[in-house]
Amino acid sequence: MAGTKSALVLCMDVGFSMSNSGPGEEPPFELAKKVIQKFVQRQVFAETKDELALVLFGTDATKNPLDKDDQYQNITVHRSLKVPDFELLVEIENQIQPENQQADWLDALVVCMDLLQTATKVKKYDRLNIVLLTDLNTQASSDNLDVIIENLKQADITLQFFLPFPLEEEEEEEEGQGDGDRRGPGHPGTGKGLSREQKSGLEMVRHVMLSLDEEDGLDEVYSFRDAIEQLCMFKRIERRPMAWPCQLTIGSALSIRIVGYKAVTEEKLKKMWITVDAQSNKRDDVKRETVYCLDDDNETEVQKDDIIQGFRYGSDIVPFSKVDQDQMKYKHDGKCFAVLGFAKQSMVQRHQFMGNQVVKMFAAKNDEHAGVALSALIRALDELQMVAVVRYAYDRRSNPQVGAAFPCIKQDYECLMYVQLPFMEDLRHFTFPSLENKKLTPSDAQLSAVDALIDSMMLVKEDENGEQKDLFKPHNIPNPAFQRHFQCLHHRAVSPGTPLPAMEPWLQAALDRPEVIGERCRAPLEEMKRKFPLTEVEKKKKLKTSAQIFGKDAEESDAKNVKDEAEEEYNLADIAEGSVTSVGSVDPARDFRALIKQKSLPFGEVCQQLTRRIEQLLSNKDTLYYMKSITCIQAFREQSVKLGSADLYNSYLQSLKRSIENRGLEVFWDLLVQDAVTLISKDEVEGSTISKTEANQFLVVEEKKEEAAAPQVEDTGDVDDLLDMM
Amino acid sequence: MAEWNAFYHNEDEEEEQEEGEQSGDYRITGRDSLVFLVDASKEMFIKGEDGQPSNFDMTMQVVRSVYMSKIISSHRDLVALVFYGTEQSKNPRNSFKHVYVYHDLDEPGAKRVQDIDSLRGEKGAQLAAETMGSGETSFGDALWCCANLYSDIKLRLSHKRLMIFTCRDEPHGGDSVKDRQARTKAGDLKETGVVIDLMHLMKPGGFNVSLFFCDIISPLEDESELGLQVEPCEKLDDLKKRVRAKEQKKRAMARLNLCLGEGLNVAVGIYPTAVTARKPVAIRLYRETNEPVRSKTRTFHTQTGSLLLPSEIKKAQVYGNKQIVMEKDEVDAIKKFDDPGLLLIGFKPMEKLKLHHHIRPAVFLYPEEDQVKGSACLFSALLKKCSERNVFALCRCITRRNNPPRFAALVPQLQEVDEGNAQITPPGFNVIYLPFADDLRTLDPPHYPAASQVQVDKMKEIVSKLRFKYRSDSFENPVIQQHYRNLEALALDMMAPEDIEDLIMPKVEQIDQRLGPLVDEFKDLVYPENYNPESKPAAKRKTADSGGGAEKKPKVEVTEDELKVHVQNGTLAKLTVPVLKEACKQFGVRTTGTKKQELIDALIAKLG
Repeated sequence: MAGTKSALVLCMDVGFSMSNSGPGEEPPFELAKKVIQKFVQRQVFAETKDELALVLFGTDATKNPLDKDDQYQNITVHRSLKVPDFELLVEIENQIQPENQQADWLDALVVCMDLLQTATKVKKYDRLNIVLLTDLNTQASSDNLDVIIENLKQADITLQFFLPFPLEEEEEEEEGQGDGDRRGPGHPGTGKGLSREQKSGLEMVRHVMLSLDEEDGLDEVYSFRDAIEQLCMFKRIERRPMAWPCQLTIGSALSIRIVGYKAVTEEKLKKMWITVDAQSNKRDDVKRETVYCLDDDNETEVQKDDIIQGFRYGSDIVPFSKVDQDQMKYKHDGKCFAVLGFAKQSMVQRHQFMGNQVVKMFAAKNDEHAGVALSALIRALDELQMVAVVRYAYDRRSNPQVGAAFPCIKQDYECLMYVQLPFMEDLRHFTFPSLENKKLTPSDAQLSAVDALIDSMMLVKEDENGEQKDLFKPHNIPNPAFQRHFQCLHHRAVSPGTPLPAMEPWLQAALDRPEVIGERCRAPLEEMKRKFPLTEVEKKKKLKTSAQIFGKDAEESDAKNVKDEAEEEYNLADIAEGSVTSVGSVDPARDFRALIKQKSLPFGEVCQQLTRRIEQLLSNKDTLYYMKSITCIQAFREQSVKLGSADLYNSYLQSLKRSIENRGLEVFWDLLVQDAVTLISKDEVEGSTISKTEANQFLVVEEKKEEAAAPQVEDTGDVDDLLDMM
Repeated sequence: MAEWNAFYHNEDEEEEQEEGEQSGDYRITGRDSLVFLVDASKEMFIKGEDGQPSNFDMTMQVVRSVYMSKIISSHRDLVALVFYGTEQSKNPRNSFKHVYVYHDLDEPGAKRVQDIDSLRGEKGAQLAAETMGSGETSFGDALWCCANLYSDIKLRLSHKRLMIFTCRDEPHGGDSVKDRQARTKAGDLKETGVVIDLMHLMKPGGFNVSLFFCDIISPLEDESELGLQVEPCEKLDDLKKRVRAKEQKKRAMARLNLCLGEGLNVAVGIYPTAVTARKPVAIRLYRETNEPVRSKTRTFHTQTGSLLLPSEIKKAQVYGNKQIVMEKDEVDAIKKFDDPGLLLIGFKPMEKLKLHHHIRPAVFLYPEEDQVKGSACLFSALLKKCSERNVFALCRCITRRNNPPRFAALVPQLQEVDEGNAQITPPGFNVIYLPFADDLRTLDPPHYPAASQVQVDKMKEIVSKLRFKYRSDSFENPVIQQHYRNLEALALDMMAPEDIEDLIMPKVEQIDQRLGPLVDEFKDLVYPENYNPESKPAAKRKTADSGGGAEKKPKVEVTEDELKVHVQNGTLAKLTVPVLKEACKQFGVRTTGTKKQELIDALIAKLG
């Protein structure tokens, strides 16, 4: 949108005096650079359309349009008005260096003004602003000061100064005849007192600022330190409020023109992550595609156009085309804010608020009559402690809601606050056991311990003046998720290839208990610990029990019919397990089947996971574990046959057989023979290289060797070889 | 590599969400089961006086409505319909005479509802007579058969119920052997956890429960239901009420620790108590066969066409003309601040909880004694004290892994029970999520004069006329209700869906009638004549502080010289209205007009 953005010139002193600093203090140059960096960073991540220019003065070179006859020397327009980007950030990082000249800051100001005025001839901006960062350590000629002020006023340019020292303190100092000890230690530059140039410069700054704005002009002069502190937070997400004009109706005859604005809503980041190829980092290299297939063994693909919607009706699925749905669905008249009736505020419970927003309803713009009518309603509701229960529909396409409009009377405005209320279908009436049970009833000593804790942890306290002080206001904290997000993005952008930084300390602190509270509650907490014995119940392998239950079920159905393996058992098992992600040790065969079904991992990998488990089980040399291994091998075989891929299974089983002697697994092998778990032959899977007879012969181990095989210590190298074959 | 080796991922987000929601506690997930055991003797088919439907007809109505309610509220529950006292027999092993299993214990569907429909009315009675007929009664056999139905089910059943519908209080006509058999069988059933209910129907002269059925049924809560009953069972009406809302099982969304301080962790469960109900998720079907279709999403390389594994893709965002790339697990790691849990920050008085600090529905907190022993006691003490002192606990909460923190107010809620000792509100804390600075929007509210007391008082009269008692469960969602009715109509081949009553539609006529002349009286007080709130506002009158809008306009200026040139050449009209206005201001030209020509005229008058 034209005319809604602003233009801003950052004008920074890089002259030699900016590098001067007291011992152990950061030079003003570095601080000023930090201010600019942080500021540009914020602009970049807030993605404002505001344009930004950068003018440096005190540079060795001169580069500006006013450069003529020794005038306006050592001033460089580094970048003209443009939307800020990372390029600018990199430039600031690498190209702005302290230089050796000095330039008149008033001259620099004129260059900035010229820049803005030239720009406004081409484009419209709704705000023009110049930010000057300097230590004022140059002789500035005040001859043209009044002309400059007049021009600033004429062009409606606002001005901000960032100085190495605070304005206020300097004032005090002058009055107090320079008492060095009273200066704040945090302000470098003040340490060595102000130079004559700085003093006269300050006079001029004060003069300029007060002539531009008599009342609050001096509020626009900041110190570097304060600025850095304030700028360390990323800008909070701001959105232009969207007006929702409507009419509040009571019955058919009474209506009031209103306009609604979202006042509170859970803000989300504006940008989503895009997926890029890991090698090229290009988005276009990656494509996601969704295909649809029938739930048969071949997974026959189905075209998207051949898909219709259906809904479950008991054990049936009823086809219901989108066209029919649209035709038959609930329709309404659109935008609406109609009163159904009025109810006591106390009947509408806070914890039953629904939706994720609060909408404030004001009277329509420029309609005083509506204003009075709405005010009458708001005040009537307020005096009666009631709410209006309303039907609210945003527009024709959205579903209507039922909600409550609360009266809200503030010092300078009145409005109705609309919150959605639940439908009958939304409510879940759960009952919980009563806590008033003899075993649970806390003793008096316990209750007073809690009392003491509450006392020590009250966040709202009255101070000596009877004023309430709130130590912790979440609604003043910027969303930490956004702050962290931008911090990490910024880090990755400026220092790629390095790990993500730790969380900023101020953010960490903002999310924690205030220090005072932490101190104060220490003793009461210790008392609580003594009074309330808490013992963690040993986690009864919750997941395991479920796996056992379902595992058993799965086996049962296995026996009956592998194919019919009730879909639902699997789902339940998945849910209980929090979905299978790898072949676990509890029921590897089941996990293996589930993983194959999920297809989230390649077949080869799943098989490898399974064989690793089998090896693990076999190393235990115990019949119980042998049995488990056999079920695993059976599952391996079954799935391999199902998928028509025999090689992995066959080669594993063959190598397993080879290792029987070395590892002393004869007992296991006998069990395997008993169960007749052999190789997959050609008859079963086409790709197999094993014939039927070979498969049958496979289980026969030459008995004579048996004696020779003295039980040996397990050779781990062997196991690795087995795995390597996969 | 076999084709399916690809990286597939089910994309159906809504489904995932649903599952995510259920992942909490599976232990309660047995299925409910219900067997209707209906008398099919001749007495059941006798029509009532004045064309009242027969008892059999009544029963079918009830069964139908229970079927339909079950289908929507909890379609996984099992139901069965068994007739006794029939001529024909039909049961799994055909071992029982005069028992007819019409519907085996299974999930109900459209077909079953239609089956019941065909048993209703005159034709239905005829059909029943043809297929089943009426014959001897052996109640013991009927119960035995039902017991077999239960035992044949391999699924876990959480609740077993048997409902007997009959109008005969002495089914065996005094045959004590059969009576005794029935009693024994009923005892066996009750022992296996089956609850037996009696739905006694209309019997001329009253139905005497104490003759036979008092020994069959599970003990009653209300003793007055024993003995002679003139009216049919009251529960019938309840059963006939149709419910079209999905039943939700009580499941914890998460089990976490509420940390009061180092080493002081109370185990709590978080339960959703109000969740926006949506239309059930659609299932994709193949047009030709109506078979369900699965979706698979794969990510592949556009150039090589090869499928990409999760390790072969990264995530990126573009800011300030730069693409910033991160690993997928870095993206997750950014969101991680701490392990899931609730951390107590402190306490605040209740009035500090602002009404408008609402960003999402609240959840409910209840102790989990079986995770940390002693939790319930501490929780109970905290609840009691917070409630007594009217404070809430401010907590930082992270409910899931890799979720960023939110602050929340734990508001105490004591248990409330009704006269019957049934719980109205459970004891625990309501968790009210609080907004961050980013969530609050800055508005520029318009300023208007406040209404006078007379105007306010008139509105109070209006408000009082339209008072009603708000109950949170009194409004049904018309969108969902319509959807279910449409579905029923399609599934059951009905001509048209049943009508819905839109409960959130204002009853305009009633309101108008109640208010009567009040509306006009109020309008006279606040609106001038000819004011019509339905139309666009009449001439915008500037109020004292309406300058806000004007300030934003760009200030455009022309110099005096330029202006004079324009006046001389008569080219003032080339300038825009804002420029002209500014010029007027600059030269102190007073105009009341806003039209371009008026401005030009005024300027010419001054400078020309």
